[in-house]
Amino acid sequence: MMLVPVTYKGGIYQHDVVTDLIEDLGGYVVQKHVLAQEVVLQCFVPKDDIELIREISRPLFGEVTDSPLVGTEIAIVSPSLEIHHLPHPSCDIAEYTRRLGAKSNMVGMARGVGKRIAAINDEERDVINEHDIAVMALGNFEHCIEYKMPNLRRGIDVPIVLCGGPDKEALQKIVDPPVEGYVGNVGRFMHRTKEADELGKLDEIIAEITRVLEKKREEIAKDPLSVAPARLMNLIREKVPAILDVTSPTPLTVQMTGLRVKLPYDTFAPAIRKVEIEDGITIGDIAEVLPSRMRDYILIRVRPFSETNVVI
Amino acid sequence: MPAVDYFEVECDEKKGAEYYRQIANDVLLDHNLLRVIDKLHIFIDPKVPLFIATGTLKKITTRVRVRDFANINPQEGKMTLVISDETYLAPMLKIFWQRFGKERVDQPDRFTVILNGLSVDPKEIEEIVVADPSESVFKDLIYAFRCIAPEGFRIRKETYGSSRFSFVASENILAEDIDDLVAAKFALMGETP
Repeated sequence: MMLVPVTYKGGIYQHDVVTDLIEDLGGYVVQKHVLAQEVVLQCFVPKDDIELIREISRPLFGEVTDSPLVGTEIAIVSPSLEIHHLPHPSCDIAEYTRRLGAKSNMVGMARGVGKRIAAINDEERDVINEHDIAVMALGNFEHCIEYKMPNLRRGIDVPIVLCGGPDKEALQKIVDPPVEGYVGNVGRFMHRTKEADELGKLDEIIAEITRVLEKKREEIAKDPLSVAPARLMNLIREKVPAILDVTSPTPLTVQMTGLRVKLPYDTFAPAIRKVEIEDGITIGDIAEVLPSRMRDYILIRVRPFSETNVVI
Repeated sequence: MPAVDYFEVECDEKKGAEYYRQIANDVLLDHNLLRVIDKLHIFIDPKVPLFIATGTLKKITTRVRVRDFANINPQEGKMTLVISDETYLAPMLKIFWQRFGKERVDQPDRFTVILNGLSVDPKEIEEIVVADPSESVFKDLIYAFRCIAPEGFRIRKETYGSSRFSFVASENILAEDIDDLVAAKFALMGETP
């Protein structure tokens, strides 16, 4: 059964019909937003059943759209948290990815600014590595990006999409070894992106992120995960009720190969390891439950089939 | 950019210059500084790296008086000021407190100030100078250029005087002949010392 990420938008009236249907079909609701009279569900559903969901939600005026970024956590890396880079363009990119279903986090570096002095520290590196992909929003000068990029990417092993002022070709030429994705003509600017051509640029960034993530999905498909992270999310919600009291917008953040659980590691890690998935197999058996560098959260990394020899 | 007489960004990288022209325009517009700048030349060399901004200012003599943002209604024994723009409310209150004493100045809500028991001509109060924006122009300009200059250029040298200003920033120690370079940039705008 192939699960695909989609977004469902519809009225709040009888939306539980849709939620139940998705769960009955073997899909997962990753995020649910209730905005006044409207409900937005970000979910994974079986590919063959999308038409069925459309059919059933038609009387409720529901709308099902593809959103390739659902179930991913994206790091938007900005050289600093100063007015030079925020809120534009870093926040604009972060917000745009969020609209398409991703969970994006801003990572503002302590000393990512300048040319010679640009550097990354171990905490930033580890936090970025906890994401599915890193989008680096750098500046306007070719020479500067060429000089500082080797420093900023040191130790980062997740795919990188580089955004910068020069053209895409120029970026490709100056970055060595190459990164996974490039978007040119999006450097530092100091105004909101609202013109059509600027929004087009944001779309281009999304397309590039999607392309890189698609490649990563293909890689994962070659050695599938022992369990779908979205399934773990539902399990933890059932078996560890403390998660229901967490006030973060996404107490459980689904990633492509894991899950971020926003509970303190020391208190809850043993309980999570012991959660049984099926037939006596626990989360601890098929996934690593690690302390996250982000606050004192828990990071679950699901191990692939080749390591565990089980797929459930 | 109609208000500025001369506006150039000089840089080896053409694309970079274009972006910085946009950034400078946005920032100066946001900070309401385009109306005070007459000429502006920005020079950036990412190789050194170095950022130089030189420019001249227009003469501005618009001092803000009470009558510019408040209406005075003299009544028996008191005067009611209806404020239309809050921007200068705080400095105005400060001046009133100093001059008339806190017990005579009453502010029932955001847009009303009442002066009690004064024997001053309302005209006189209308003419009180509340603020002189030209005093803070330099501070505002430096703040704006800190936003425009590439971040990380923490070593700065700023000069200001007789309607001319210069702003130099780098992440390395500034070269000794930096003043000559600044003078050369002024010369490009047709300004000689």
